[in-house]
Amino acid sequence: MVATTLEAAQHAASLVTAAYDAEQPTTDMADMADAPAGEPQTYARGDADQALDSAAVRMEMTYRLARNQHNALEPHATIARWDGDKLTVWDKTQWVFGTQMELATVFGMAPESVRVISPFVGGGFGSALRTWPHVVIAALAARETKRPVKLALTRRQLYFGTGFRPAYQYAVRLGSDRRGRLTAMVHDVRAETSRYETFMESVLVPGQMLYSMPNVRQAYRTVPLDVNTPLYMRGPGYTTASYVIESAMDELAHHLGIDPIELRLRNEPDADESSGLPFSTRKLRECYAVGAREFGWHRRNPQPRSTRDGDWLIGTGMAAGVYDTARNDAQASVRLDADGTALVQSAAGDMGPGTYTSQTQLAADALGLTMRNVTFRLGDSLMPPAPPHGGSWTMASVGSAVRDGCDKLRQQAIELAVADEKSPLHGADPADVVVSAGRLHVNGDPARGETCQQLLTRNERPTSNAPAGRECTLGVGDFDEVEGIHGGPASFPVDGLLDRAHDLHVAAAAADVAAHPLADLLGGAGVPFLDAADAGHDLPRRAEPALEGVLLDERPLQRMQFTVLATWGEPLDGGDLGALQAPCQRQAGVDPPPVDQDGAGPAGTGVAALLGAGQAELFAQQVQQRGPVVDRGGAPLAVHGQRDATAGGATAVPPTSIVVAMNVWRVGAGAGPSGGGSYDSGSSVDMPTLFVRFGGRSVD
Amino acid sequence: MRGRYIAGGTTLVDLMRETVERPETLVDISALPLREVTVTERGGLRIGALVRMAEAAAHPKVRTLYPVVSQALELSASAQLRNMATIGGNIMQRTRCAYFRDVTAACNKREPGSGCAALEGFNRTHAIVGTSRQCVATHPSDVAVAFAALEARVHLLGPDGERGVAFADFLLKPGSTPNRDQSLRQGELITSVEIPAHPRPLKSGYLKVRDRQSYEFPLTSAAVALHVRGGVIHEAKVAAGGVGTVPWKLPAVERHLIGERSSQALWTQAAERAAHGARPLAHNRFKIELLKRTVERQLRIVGGTP
Ligand SMILES: Cc1cc2nc3c(=O)[nH]c(=O)nc-3n(C[C@H](O)[C@H](O)[C@H](O)COP(=O)(O)OP(=O)(O)OC[C@H]3O[C@@H](n4cnc5c(N)ncnc54)[C@H](O)[C@@H]3O)c2cc1C
Repeated sequence: MVATTLEAAQHAASLVTAAYDAEQPTTDMADMADAPAGEPQTYARGDADQALDSAAVRMEMTYRLARNQHNALEPHATIARWDGDKLTVWDKTQWVFGTQMELATVFGMAPESVRVISPFVGGGFGSALRTWPHVVIAALAARETKRPVKLALTRRQLYFGTGFRPAYQYAVRLGSDRRGRLTAMVHDVRAETSRYETFMESVLVPGQMLYSMPNVRQAYRTVPLDVNTPLYMRGPGYTTASYVIESAMDELAHHLGIDPIELRLRNEPDADESSGLPFSTRKLRECYAVGAREFGWHRRNPQPRSTRDGDWLIGTGMAAGVYDTARNDAQASVRLDADGTALVQSAAGDMGPGTYTSQTQLAADALGLTMRNVTFRLGDSLMPPAPPHGGSWTMASVGSAVRDGCDKLRQQAIELAVADEKSPLHGADPADVVVSAGRLHVNGDPARGETCQQLLTRNERPTSNAPAGRECTLGVGDFDEVEGIHGGPASFPVDGLLDRAHDLHVAAAAADVAAHPLADLLGGAGVPFLDAADAGHDLPRRAEPALEGVLLDERPLQRMQFTVLATWGEPLDGGDLGALQAPCQRQAGVDPPPVDQDGAGPAGTGVAALLGAGQAELFAQQVQQRGPVVDRGGAPLAVHGQRDATAGGATAVPPTSIVVAMNVWRVGAGAGPSGGGSYDSGSSVDMPTLFVRFGGRSVD
Repeated sequence: MRGRYIAGGTTLVDLMRETVERPETLVDISALPLREVTVTERGGLRIGALVRMAEAAAHPKVRTLYPVVSQALELSASAQLRNMATIGGNIMQRTRCAYFRDVTAACNKREPGSGCAALEGFNRTHAIVGTSRQCVATHPSDVAVAFAALEARVHLLGPDGERGVAFADFLLKPGSTPNRDQSLRQGELITSVEIPAHPRPLKSGYLKVRDRQSYEFPLTSAAVALHVRGGVIHEAKVAAGGVGTVPWKLPAVERHLIGERSSQALWTQAAERAAHGARPLAHNRFKIELLKRTVERQLRIVGGTP
């Protein structure tokens, strides 16, 4: 229903009766125990089955994880507007290019005829990594009515109008020796998917790299149910697998009477055994040491139900998580203006991690400007391409591009200065010139220099296309200043950008970094991957479609980071190694902490092994540690309070007058023409408590 | 029932948004002089229908005389809601059964004769006592459980004048007319809830067990008030929430306590009687045991163990 007010649309929708034949739906994997599942995704190293047969200790467990809904505070919403045959969409999306590609495909248009804008995502948690039907509906309604259309999903519609973390049935069989050294694990994973699509995610990764063991076999199948298609949810697959594996490890620890941390230390790998590559960062031993110390781990009574606080049962537990961080192709454009300010743009997203702030900090740092003088804009498909704002990619990917572009631009400014006879820096060695707080000067001779403003004003050559009041003087990357959005239809598409002859225009600001096999994050959802490694070519530069997963798969995959088991309240960055080291050394060598022996025989040895090993590991880690591309270190800069407002102002949404409401009905047993239906136990009302095992309280 | 009074609006507006309720007329009563808490001649308390939940909970008389009422209120909803919501609106609130609020589901309470989707559906949170084949939805209010335990009276004003109704008769079990939640007559307005005087000292308290520690309705709850003199229980008022289609008074538990001396054994034995007559559904069998434990714990908390 499309109407000029929300109320009219809702009322009209309420008058629509849908008649359909109801069939018995299956929405719970438990009802599909013997269902034919699709071809499994598999992984194997060694001979897990044989190793299990001969293992001294064997355990078998099955975990069922309920579905999780993303449910961000800010529901999905779309505004669509057509200007002739050009479509502009304001959408809640973690990837403007994904939405652009999907709409272009649906409407049979060239991608560059679709512009997608998303300066603020609101909460994402993965739910905005895909273009949902309502986006297309809004665009369709706008086309039919020839007016802008707004469509906001209700809270209830989020449950079937978007995705969710699928329910899992995850069976683990593990084998170990009597000392808890793992010999084999077999993972049999089943996850729900829809009847019309297969959704799979990285649920197998943790089982391959969390613990050291020679034999692993994994099979991951999907079970098609009468549900909508699932989607990635924060820690996609990793959370699920970590929960299962860590629960199984606790079972083993309990069975063998080994302290859970000690058990994990006995199985701590030296390298990623799935690839043989070293971990770039893996600080689990330190995490365990600090966590155990801070939580008083060795003073706890490990006996279940042994610790009470009045009527509450108090439990203390631990678990590790693993994530193989990756980077992806990203581009940024950077422009330095004669007024001494810089504009940096990349079509990244900000769903709350502070992309605006972090990229501004990064750019200011690299350009030698204060944050006040740097504006970062994101979330517009007219901007240089960025990967999906998910998978913890943004900082490493977009940050790399911004850093690279800003470095190049700073270099250009320096070169301009040393070649300019009127500059105090004329003739200086460019390698000796530094820029800080907006001023270029010779390193070690602050008096010899000038401000960027002075340099650029003197060298200014205004160009016809430059926006009024802004003389662009230096630019890196293809530069469309995407700020004309409030200017109405005329501002899109932005033509003739390259005529905006910047004095200095370097070709590429793309950070071309190793790509993760995108098949995993994107392929499953049927989202075409957009490769844009190559910047500096003409529009429609971002229209190049899929350089598909196949190609990406062949790229070297390097797993980067390893993270953290819980919030210990103590940062474990490189800079803190020193701080960590001291207590560890002291405890291990000189002054062992008192060990509470009650009920936990092995715990005592656990402490010794933990600390001894942890200490050795610290040094190894220090040597091994390679900073990610964007490792700034040092104190964070103050946050520029107006940054977001500026960016937001650039994309004022046009007034809209048409509203869409969707009538909602549920298919259920015995549903009559009026749409009566029934929930079932697999439905969204059942929210699981994932980590109830640890620190959980229960009424006895 | 084409018109509705509206007080704090915290639940009526929701129901209208979901189109569960579609009153043609709303009568805003929030300016009526029903915001007093007064001590009655006999030493009971009268709480005006428009007293906010937060005000009632914090009222010194309520807090000292009937802590069970304060506690039940403070364990309800959220601070924001308690600042808006009124006592009258609270005992009038309708069930939280998901099928009642899903206008596409079958629900005899919402649409008489359409069936009950909860019977065969997902009924983990539903009632185990007071149910009928027409409806198994719980009454969600917490403070109503305290009122039921304390045998409150509801004062009404209608076209035919004033009258008072015992709390036990005010909220209705579904029977064959689950669409009727209260015994209100056409046009009747709640003016106050009166808690009668009970012998003092009266120790009381409310325990609420729920899936989340806050901002959640009860799976089970227990309101307990005990008058103990010379080590002997002379009066016991006990009701349970989260388990019944109405707040569930537990006379068998009360009887077992009277004349006895407090002991752990007594609490256990008395609580054993809490789930008499319970008829669990497919997903809520756990409530039987949980109810007993909830009652036992709250008896112990209020009565202590010597
Ligand atoms: C998110 C949420 C969580 C909640 N959690 C809890 C909880 O944990 N425990 C709990 O007990 N409650 C809970 N509630 C319910 C809350 O207590 C009620 O919404 C509130 O008490 C209703 O009061 P009100 O004044 O806003 O009523 P309104 O919404 O104004 O009215 C509710 C109904 O009462 C009728 N009514 C109001 N006043 C009178 C009167 N004087 N005479 C006759 N009829 C009248 C109205 O016509 C309407 O039908 C929750 C509510 C929400 C929204």
